[in-house]
Amino acid sequence: MKTRKIDEKLCELDLTPLVDVVFLSLMLFMIALYFQHVKAGERARLPYDSLARPPGVEPERELVLNFGFRRSSGGRRRDPMPTVLLDDRHVEVRELSPELDRQKHALQSQSGNDALADVTVLIRADSDVPAGLVQELVQKCREGGFANFSLQELPAKQ
Amino acid sequence: MKFSPNNGPSIIRLPLVPLIDVMFLLLMFFVLHLKGISPERQFTVNLPSGPPSSATATGSAASLPDIKVGLRSDRNGRLTQLTLGSKNLGNDDAAFDRLNREILQLIGRPGHPLTKDVEVEIDADYETHYRFVVKAISKCTGRMDPQTRQIARYVEKIKFAPPHKPKA
Repeated sequence: MKTRKIDEKLCELDLTPLVDVVFLSLMLFMIALYFQHVKAGERARLPYDSLARPPGVEPERELVLNFGFRRSSGGRRRDPMPTVLLDDRHVEVRELSPELDRQKHALQSQSGNDALADVTVLIRADSDVPAGLVQELVQKCREGGFANFSLQELPAKQ
Repeated sequence: MKFSPNNGPSIIRLPLVPLIDVMFLLLMFFVLHLKGISPERQFTVNLPSGPPSSATATGSAASLPDIKVGLRSDRNGRLTQLTLGSKNLGNDDAAFDRLNREILQLIGRPGHPLTKDVEVEIDADYETHYRFVVKAISKCTGRMDPQTRQIARYVEKIKFAPPHKPKA
């Protein structure tokens, strides 16, 4: 029986694909971080506070309302009027009622007519939005049947 | 049938160390990055129910009066006056510290049992920047001891007055 002699040089592991994978994962994370920062520029810049509490008991259901300014990637405001970011759409507070009704019907179709009692509206408002508009936002939610509210903050930097 | 014992290499050495080094570096980088993202905190607010309160001292003798904090601002949302009832506390950072002291004077001591029923009503001008409202809520809620880092809670119930009209 003939056996072929294996050349020892052929058994060296080819590192190139491994290095490729490492570089690809590095690029993936860097690009993901870049887009995360771009997206963060669009989200609300929450006020800082040292006395706000971390959420004790997670609410059964929550409706998160991001209320802030449309900003460029550099952080500059693109529009002086703050908007609520709902499903990747910017909605002004005065036009929010139909959207809230849609959310309300979706919740009620899932969990019955009493579903809204378990819903907490988390208001993530930018620190520079007018207080009157935050109050209007709360008012619209209240008219829509939502009753529990939390104002979101970031812990103050020590 | 003969097999040669030297057909293949005896040991295949895979240089794992540099790969593990790179993976640890990546892991450290992302862990450190994630550590910079702080978890959010929250204030729970009540909603205005019934007519707005017209005075600061509306409680009976057995209870503490409700507290009304006013935030007046200019058209650009900058704070021009912080008030507690009819008392002007100023418009700078020290005004919020004064508010904190005044609230403590009103309730007597942190954790006073009667404070469970006390509500703070935040009455802010339409244009006031939201961060001032949050700061006022914070100063009414309590105080953090700078040495022990313990939080002394003053008033837990916060509500908003009905919104004002924007300045013309």
